[in-house]
Order: sequence, then C-alpha cells, then structure tokens
Amino acid sequence: MKRTIPAAIGIAAAASLALTACSGSSDASGGSSPTGPVTITVSGWSLATTPEFQTLADAFHAKDPNVTVQLKEYDPAQYTTLITADLAAGKAPDIVTQKEVKNVSVFQSGGQLMDVSDVVSKLPKDVSGTSSYKIDGKYYGVPYRQDSWVLFYNKDLFDKAGVKYPDGTWTWDDYATAAKTLTTNLKGKGSKALGTYEHSWQSTLQGFANAQSPGADILSGKFDYLKPYYERALGLQSAGAQVDLGTITTNSLTYQAQFGKQQAAMMPMGSWYVATLISQQKSGDADTFKWGFAPAPQLDSSTTGLDKTPVTFGDPTAFAINANIDKSKVAAAKEFLTFAASEEAATDLAKIGITPSITNDSVAQTFFSVAGAPTDDLSKFAWTKHETHPENPTSSKTASVQTILNDLHTAVMTGSSPIDKAIKDAQDRFKSEVGS
Amino acid sequence: MATVVTDDRISTERRSPRRSRPGRALARRNTLIGWTFILPNFVGFALLTLVPVIVLFYMSFTSWNVFGKAPWVGLANYTRLIDDKSFHTAFLNTLYYAVIHIPLTLVAALALALLLNRKMRGVTFFRTVAFFPYITSIVAIAFVWNMLFSPKYGPINQFLGLLGVEHGPGWTVSAQWSMPAVLIVGTWREMGYYMLLFLAGLQTVPAELHEAARVDGANPWQRFWNVTMPCLRPTTFFVTVMLTIGSFKVFDLILVMTNGGPGQSTLVLSQYIYQKGFGEFQFGYASAISVVLFLLCIVVTIFQFLWNKRRES
Amino acid sequence: MRTRVLGKTVGYVVLAVASIGLLLPFFWMVISSLKHNNDVFTVPVQWFPSPVVWHNYIEIWQRSDMTTWLRNTLLLAVVVTVLQVFTGSFAAYGFARMRFPGRDILFLAYIGTMAVPWQSYMIPQFVLMSKIHLNDTLWSIIALQAFGAFGVFLMKQYFESVPESLNEAARIDGLSEYGIWRRIMMPLSIPAIASLTLLTFVNTWNDYLGPLIYLRSAQNWTIQLGLKTFISQYNAEYALIMTGSVLSVLPIAVIFLLGQRYFVEGIASTGVKG
Repeated sequence: MKRTIPAAIGIAAAASLALTACSGSSDASGGSSPTGPVTITVSGWSLATTPEFQTLADAFHAKDPNVTVQLKEYDPAQYTTLITADLAAGKAPDIVTQKEVKNVSVFQSGGQLMDVSDVVSKLPKDVSGTSSYKIDGKYYGVPYRQDSWVLFYNKDLFDKAGVKYPDGTWTWDDYATAAKTLTTNLKGKGSKALGTYEHSWQSTLQGFANAQSPGADILSGKFDYLKPYYERALGLQSAGAQVDLGTITTNSLTYQAQFGKQQAAMMPMGSWYVATLISQQKSGDADTFKWGFAPAPQLDSSTTGLDKTPVTFGDPTAFAINANIDKSKVAAAKEFLTFAASEEAATDLAKIGITPSITNDSVAQTFFSVAGAPTDDLSKFAWTKHETHPENPTSSKTASVQTILNDLHTAVMTGSSPIDKAIKDAQDRFKSEVGS
Repeated sequence: MATVVTDDRISTERRSPRRSRPGRALARRNTLIGWTFILPNFVGFALLTLVPVIVLFYMSFTSWNVFGKAPWVGLANYTRLIDDKSFHTAFLNTLYYAVIHIPLTLVAALALALLLNRKMRGVTFFRTVAFFPYITSIVAIAFVWNMLFSPKYGPINQFLGLLGVEHGPGWTVSAQWSMPAVLIVGTWREMGYYMLLFLAGLQTVPAELHEAARVDGANPWQRFWNVTMPCLRPTTFFVTVMLTIGSFKVFDLILVMTNGGPGQSTLVLSQYIYQKGFGEFQFGYASAISVVLFLLCIVVTIFQFLWNKRRES
Repeated sequence: MRTRVLGKTVGYVVLAVASIGLLLPFFWMVISSLKHNNDVFTVPVQWFPSPVVWHNYIEIWQRSDMTTWLRNTLLLAVVVTVLQVFTGSFAAYGFARMRFPGRDILFLAYIGTMAVPWQSYMIPQFVLMSKIHLNDTLWSIIALQAFGAFGVFLMKQYFESVPESLNEAARIDGLSEYGIWRRIMMPLSIPAIASLTLLTFVNTWNDYLGPLIYLRSAQNWTIQLGLKTFISQYNAEYALIMTGSVLSVLPIAVIFLLGQRYFVEGIASTGVKG
C-alpha cells in the first residue's frame, strides 16, 4: 500500500469539507419581497407537545397566505448536536430556532446566522431578550419567547401548615425560613411534603446568583458571590426542608412530580411550568390543588415589594435566519421573525400557556384567562413585572465556564467538596482553561 | 479429519510452506487475491470510516469550530493538552476505569463462558440471562442501578446495613465511590457480551485433547491452563483488544449514570471530547484529544499483539 | 461420577443466584411498565405493582407507529448483518491467510479506527454522507454499520485458530482460495459466524445515535429512535419509558434464544461432516 494515497485523499476531503461549510455566508443582506408563494422551513422540537411552533406557523400563514411555514422536527435533548450537523452539511432549515443562548455566538462566528438588525430595529419597544442576540452591535436573532423564573407555591399546603403566602416582599432568607417552618408544620399535620423543592440543575441556584448579585459576571472568573446561595441551599438540605441532590439524582426525581404530586410546598422554576402544571392537573398526572406563583425571592430588600421590579433570570428563545438561506426567501423569513415578536403573536402564544417575549397587561389578560391558570394579583404581578437577566451571557466562552460551574455545583451539593474549596478550584480552572 | 486437526493444533510451528517458494509472479498473485478478499469490505470502510478519521487527524492541527474554515495552528492543540488539568483528570480517570475494568471483565466473562459451555439442562436460558444486561436499554440500567445505589434508601446500602456497615458509601453521589459504582455496572453489563465471544472460541477446543489430557492424569486446573487456554489464545487476544478499546472509549454508561460527576470524579476522555466538541465547539481541540486516545489504544494494542506473538511461538 | 453431580449442583446454585443479579434491572423494568407513572419511583421500592396497569402497552401500540419502526429496524438489522458477516469474513480470510505487503499496516488501520470515538469524526462523516446523498435514507445506516472493523477482526481471529494444514490439503486438492473460504473456513467457523451475527444484529437493533443523526423523517425511524422520540414528548413518563424498553428488548431476547444453539452444535456437526 502506498502510504501517500490515503493522506492525499484525507487532506483533499478535509479541505473540501471545510470549504462547503462556509460557502454562501456572504449573501446575508437584502432580498426582494416575496412575489409568488414561498415556503420557509423552521426548526422545532417535540411538535406534538410543544404547540408553539404550529401556532405561530398557522397564524402567520393566515396573515400572509403567500408564505407557508413548514416545520422540521428535532429531538429536544439532542437539538444542538443535530442542528450543528445540519448546519455543517448545509442542510439546516431556513429559520434556525435558537434553543440555547450559549450557542448563539458560536453559530454567529461560524458565519451561520444572518444579520437581522433591520428586523429588530422595527420591533415594539416591550420585546424583551433581544440583547442576548446582539454581537458587535448587530442582532442575529428575534426572541419570541422569554421565560422567567418565579416561585411556585401550593396554596393548599400553605393553608394546611398555617404559613402566610408569599407576598412579593421575600428575600432568600425569608424563603428559607418559610421552607423550614412549612416542613415542620406539615410534618406536625402528618404530611410528608417538604417546604420546598430545588431541582438538580445548576441554573436553579446559579441563575439567581448570577442575576441578583451586584457585579456578578461568570466571565470574570470570580465566583465568590455564589457562596451565600450555596450555603443557604446546603442549609435547607441539612435541615430536611428540601430533598438533597443525591436523592434527586439517584432516584431520578422529576420536578413535575415533586410539585405536581404535592411533595413540596414551594418550587423555584421557570414560567414554562405554568402550562405544564395546568395540563397535568387537567390530565390527572398532577393532583388537584390551588396554586399560584410569586416573584422570585430577592438577594436583599432593595428589590422586594410590589412597587419595585424584582430581579430574576431566564433565557429567551429566538428565531434566527440561516445565513445560507435562498435569497428569494429572505424577505418572507424576515416577515416571519417580525410577526413572531409582535403583540398579536404574543397573544396567540399566551393562549397556549407560553410566556412570550412581550408580557404587557393585555397579553397577561389572555394568559391568565386560560382555564386552570391562577387568578390572583401576585401571580399577574410576577408574570408581567420583572427584570430578567439572561441565564447565559452571549460569549464564545460561556459554554466552557458553564461546564466548570456545573462541576462546582455537583461537587458542592453532594458534599464532595466544601464550598470554599470548590470555588477556588473553579477559579483556578477558569484561569487555565478559559483565560481572561 | 478430526485427528488431523488435533495434531496440527498441538504443533506450535506455524511456518507457511508458501513463503519458502520463490517467485515474483506468485507474490503478485497472492497480493491480487488478498486484495480481492479485502476489497468488498475495504471500499465501504475506507470511504465511510477511514476518510473521516483521517480528516479528524488533520483537524487536530487546526482550530476548527465545525463551521467555516479550519485555520492551521500546528501543534498548538497538543501543547495545550500538557497544561490542561481537566484533560489530566480525564486521562487518569480513563486509566483508572480501564485498569480495573479490563481484567475484571475478562475473568468474569471467561468464567461465565466456561460455566455455560456444557450440555446441561437450562443452559440456553442461563446464556440468555447473562446476555440480558447488554441488551437492556442503557437508560433503564442507569435508572435501576442509580436507585440500587441510592445512599439513603437504596437496597445495596440497606443490605450493607444488615451486615453492620453503618454508613454505606455514597456511590454515585460521592467523589470517592462514583468510579467504583460505574465499574461495577460496567462489568456487570459487558461480561455477557464477552462471554459470547469466549463461547464461540471455546468451540474450537477439541474434545479429544481434553480426553487425552484426562487420560494422562491432568486435573481440571491443569487441563484449563494446558489445553483450553492455548486453544483459546486467538479469542483471548480479540477479547482483550476489544475490551481495551471499549474501556478507553467508555462513554454512554458514564453519561447516563453520573454525567462525569460529582465534580470531575468520573470525567473520562470520550466525555471530555464530547464536551469540548459539541458542548464548547472546540472541534480542533477535541480532535487532538481523540488522537491522543487513538494513540493510547494503538500503543496498548501493539503491545498486546507482540505479547500474543511471543506466547504463540 | 459423584463429583460430576456435585459439580453440577453447585453450578446450578451459582447460576441461579447470578441470574437474579443479572435480571433484577430487567425485572424492575417490567414491573415499572405495569405501574402508574407516579408509582415508579417510590421509597421503599415497590417490587410488585398493585394494581397491575396494562394501559401503557396499549397506549404505546395505539399512539405510536410501531409497525413502521419494527419494519425499518428489522430490514436494517438483517441487511447490515448479512453484509457484515459476508464482507467481514471475506476480508478476514485475506488478512488471516494471504500474505502480501502492507497487510499488517492495513489491519492496524482497521483496529485503529475502532479506537477513535465516533463523536469526534461524526461531523466529517455526516458531511460526507450528505454529499453522496445518503442522509435520511436507510442506506446511510447500512453504509455506516455494515463495513465495520469489528467483523473483520473477529473472523480473522477465528480463522487463525483453524489449522493451516487444512488449507494446504485443500490447495493440493485443487481448491481455489475462494473455494477454501467457502467450503472449508466458513463451515468450520459457524460458532464465530453465529456470535458475529447475534452481536451485529443486536448492535444494529439497539443503535440510537446513528439513526438519530441520520434518519430524520418519521417514515425512516427505527424502533429505538421512534420509542425515544415518542417518549420524549411525554416528559418524565417513566412507566411509558420502561414499557418502550421492554418492548424493544423482547425481540432481541427471542432471536438470542433461537440463535445460540449454534454455539454448541457448530464444531461438533461440521467435524462429522469433515
């Protein structure tokens, strides 16, 4: 066998593979308005149980019958891997839904996303989350959905324990005290439910710490600000007011069952759970009980109270245009992006329990008129008024930092490493693996 | 016929008479015939596996991020590995896993195969049972074992409690015990798979040889070492190499059981490659780690190959 | 004779205990599939479902496209297995019995590619596949699985345990190399072919990542891909997940039970023929 042959084939193949991936990224701007009927493809996931894509597609088609929106379904758990492979092979749909903010900068720097600044500049003022798609002064995505984390609570269990409902003035210390009181009182009444349930994700803790701590920035490589949040969570674990992380992972506990089957009286969770809980109560997967949600507890009293704006976190979901889209479809695609972030679309989304990127009072009215939704004023306040920081900053370093912080999270929460040591380890790893 | 087989097997000389015959035409003919045998498989293999792997080797010298160009960076990815503490952790964890998993599984699989290589009632059932862990969905395995390992409520620690162990290990939620937990499940899952390969190999051991050794007064242990093991050598070599490669590449089991945690206590190379590639889009760097993994496997395999050759002669 | 009886008894006891340990997770899988979703994870473990819930099996059958998935998977598994056994054993003969320059390097390349994790060359492979327009066809999985190094390596090792004197005798009888492969080597290697067949079949049947990346249209889905996608729509429905797992394991178990008699019969029967 001649040794040179496979090497030559390999390099030729490598060169051609590298070349195909970036071709066509130059025709980013412009595009004439659609004349004849156009079909644009949009990536989505779990279409049967995630109705938002079909809702938007149908509503848009009704508005502009010239444009047909075709959905391309992906596996939700493997979305990034699959869409990456499709983009690399030039087979991705015209509109690439951005499921995770942390990948936006990678797609953008790889020349896969079209500049849609012109669309963003014409959006209504109250669309939130656009800043997550801003790179070097240009916008690469239009958020149609913006979930925020709130505090769900079970009114029946609160009543049973004789504890006063959250009133929007809670700090995390108030929350911890309430969790402990709830646990003790519920136990006294013969209930097995615990005070609260914090799911095993790193964001359950770090998302709040990143958003609420002054000067916190995961890209700074300084993670001291996480300490009070972890001490509080560990305190709740050891007091038995919440299930410990070891039990959550080894018994594969789900947050839907923990709150829906009344195993916990409170639960910090994203607003997407509203729709889930309503439908699970309807189907019988969840118990029937009265519930509501309050603004997320705050770091200190400077942001608590109904006259202030509570600070929380949540990643938006956005539509972005594939840079390799056929030129004749650009106008239709941009029209779809504009529509998805309009108040009209927001109302349609609110009807199916989705938290859209516009959450003004009229959209809220639609959202809360869904059968099974809570009706109290505090829930409405929590849904409409919040300063929501992105869970992940838009940077090429975000993914690496999140890996480090996830290792910190599992190490601390399982008691494998004391908090101070874990923070120091994470900072050292940041220095050597991410750099400044 | 059978006796011919036996006689030849005892003689350890494996010299081919063809080699002594001179002639270029013959050599060319052999090459041609050899290639016709290999070609049908090689065409598919070369196009769909070899070429992408060679591309990967090339990419390890670039800062490829999947999209766009792949700028040449020379050895930068490899020098970066030297100071990458996470890589060191993953490397050591992989070795930890392999060094224990390989001999453990080898012995368990061989013992199981010997036990089940006889004519007895129900042997078909037992073989199927032994193979079950391999065909059971890995997600289900992770669920069940994680539950069995649960430090507070798990049956394993409850059982240890009966034996007087007050505070059983934390298993998958403790940095010290997570790797042993994964090792137990890994061996449990794979021994049936390798048992099957040993079973096939055991069919090449001629019964006449065993009979002859028995007549000579050899006890079962001696017969195992002097008859079974030598005949089983090609299979053992195959199983060892596959097991080595499989252990160094261990991925999905760890992903579903511990996801590398707690902390980095079960982070292994394959997972680190996935993290750097699909998690952080550093595909150039991920490729370099793959090349290291490849070299590691190749070096161990060549060592096994040479050792096998020496034992043969 | 007495020791043999004793040995047999001890053997049965050991096997029975081992079987429980090996089947426990599968058993748990079956009972979980017969429970209500919220009874799956309980403290302490509930080993017998009460009441027994058959609903999950009905739901999967009625609401999913199981027949399509089974048909695709069966087709793939059969084609891949046939190709793998045929091309693999054919190439193995070349490696085991023919001598030519570069043979060992080539063989090392075969083994070497097995040492590279698939995730790391998945993207180049995907791009290549889409260039030859195999994406989203069942051909992509056939191409991906049928020419693996595993079969070549396994058969080569087995061929090497067949004495070379047999080849010599056959050559003197005037058999060509192809004839030797077909008439001598293959019949002698039935146990190896049986295990290669079983393992290839099982691996193709259980493959998830390959179909996930390559088979996007629902009409091409395999059983693993179909079940996981179906279940992932029902967030955290563990009873349903276990039902799907049980259903995907059963056909394999049947094939395994049927196929493995060849291990015992292999050499013995061909020995008589020879």
